[in-house]
Amino acid sequence: METGSIIVFTCNWDAYSGLETAGAKRHSYQPEIIPIKLMCLGRISTGIILKVFERGADGVFLIGCPKDECKYYFGNKHAKTIVAEAQELLTLLGYSSGRLKMDSIAAGEGDKFTEKVRDFAEGLSKISEGV
Amino acid sequence: MTGIQSNMKTMREIINQNRVTLCLTCGKCSSVCPITRWENREYISPRLLVEKAASGEDDQIFNDLLFWSCITCGQCTELCPSDVDFCGFIRDMRVLARKENLTGACTHGDAIQTWARIMTDPELKQNRIGWVNDDLKISDKSDTIYFTGCLPYYDIMFRDLGSESIKVAQSAIKILNKTGIEPYVMKNERCCGHDQIWEGDVKTFKALAELNIDQFKSIGAKRIITTCPECAYTIKYDYPKSVGEYGMEVMHITEYMAEQVSKGKIDFVNDQEKQTVTYHDPCRLGRSMGVYDAPRKVLRELGYHTVEMKKNRSAGLCCGTSCWTSCGKTNKKIQTERLGQAKETEAEMLVTACIKCQVHFKCAQKDKMLENEIGIQIHDLTILAAERLKS
Ligand code: SF4
Ligand code: SF4
Repeated sequence: METGSIIVFTCNWDAYSGLETAGAKRHSYQPEIIPIKLMCLGRISTGIILKVFERGADGVFLIGCPKDECKYYFGNKHAKTIVAEAQELLTLLGYSSGRLKMDSIAAGEGDKFTEKVRDFAEGLSKISEGV
Repeated sequence: MTGIQSNMKTMREIINQNRVTLCLTCGKCSSVCPITRWENREYISPRLLVEKAASGEDDQIFNDLLFWSCITCGQCTELCPSDVDFCGFIRDMRVLARKENLTGACTHGDAIQTWARIMTDPELKQNRIGWVNDDLKISDKSDTIYFTGCLPYYDIMFRDLGSESIKVAQSAIKILNKTGIEPYVMKNERCCGHDQIWEGDVKTFKALAELNIDQFKSIGAKRIITTCPECAYTIKYDYPKSVGEYGMEVMHITEYMAEQVSKGKIDFVNDQEKQTVTYHDPCRLGRSMGVYDAPRKVLRELGYHTVEMKKNRSAGLCCGTSCWTSCGKTNKKIQTERLGQAKETEAEMLVTACIKCQVHFKCAQKDKMLENEIGIQIHDLTILAAERLKS
């Protein structure tokens, strides 16, 4: 992983289907963005998020299924708790809060996927410019 | 660079320096080792591992189940009649194992080790002193540094267990203020590196230690006070030995409180009904630093009636896990054993002086099936003391 990368964790379901739709429509987004598919966002852990930052990433964005539509019922709820914990730790470590974010899309929402990851990346460049 | 952290020792040197070849095969170490007692996958023991090392079966050492599961409690070293430092041997050998990319199994998803590595960044600007509220007085011109350790981080990580992390830090400042000290609290303090050096990660340890020592020197204080026994031990003994001198006295808050009591400089309200409590000796404070009397003296001064567990002081049992590594069912059995010993005393409360002990015990207590065997209130001594300061 290169310094300055932006890691986008998607779940295998709604979020990944959004990514596939975006691909089929030949959308483009910032080259720093590296999507990583998890079976469910519930797989994420505080340790994984911290490690991504340790290796020099600019930001971590997690996209899963909409609230109450997690295919495993509790995965996105668990991820929410983890992200909140990681966010607090990162704040202590001096990282700006905009560098970690969690969101959701419904299946097939390619446009939304692209829009959300682009916005996240733009937000990060504003943070690094100190705006 | 001198000492083990130069990374240059060979396996044979480590074996010789820790006097492993002097083993008499008496088995005392194995009889006290809590891992030997509770590990039921296979029989492992310090004596067996010492024998492997002494007889030159070097390739077997790293593969021994005890190699990473040893909790470095030091009970074996304490008891050995032939002065074999098994605990030191493990610590030194782990440095060599790391070079071969071997590590213990991480617990908590490696989060704690990761934030320690993040802290090796010299440019890091933490926001770690938000817990210093308006009631607490700190100063940028002080001869005393209060070394917070990872308490602000543990406060987040172990909130679900009801860990008293940040309250420990706040209580320490209250106590210091009461005795006329407005301590310096480092805005960019790093993890002390205790877990790293005991797990063989000397690279991270040194980077953390150097960043802390640079800050100590620029502050120019005379004394460092910690609330974590591991920070106290590491800063006091490992920093000068492996990184460099910084010329300051280091003490754990329990030592400081006992000293202030002797000087008559601190007074506690002790008119509460005599509650019976039992004190758990943290390994680094007890066996490693020899501090057994100070916490007990403070407890008496607070008006508690203290009773000892069956295993106490230098024979005290470890809280079951160390370095946030390789924690599992064997460790839980040790935690359960220790809490059971506390319960047997019929004390109303178990008092600790180490946040990690508290986290480990409270984690074991999550098991409600064991409520009758191990259910007992747990509190930190620093907090109990701060709550009873005479106004
Ligand atoms: S206690 Fe010492 S002498 Fe006895 S078996 Fe253990 S290492 Fe050897
Ligand atoms: S240090 Fe403790 S856990 Fe490790 S071998 Fe010795 S007695 Fe066992």
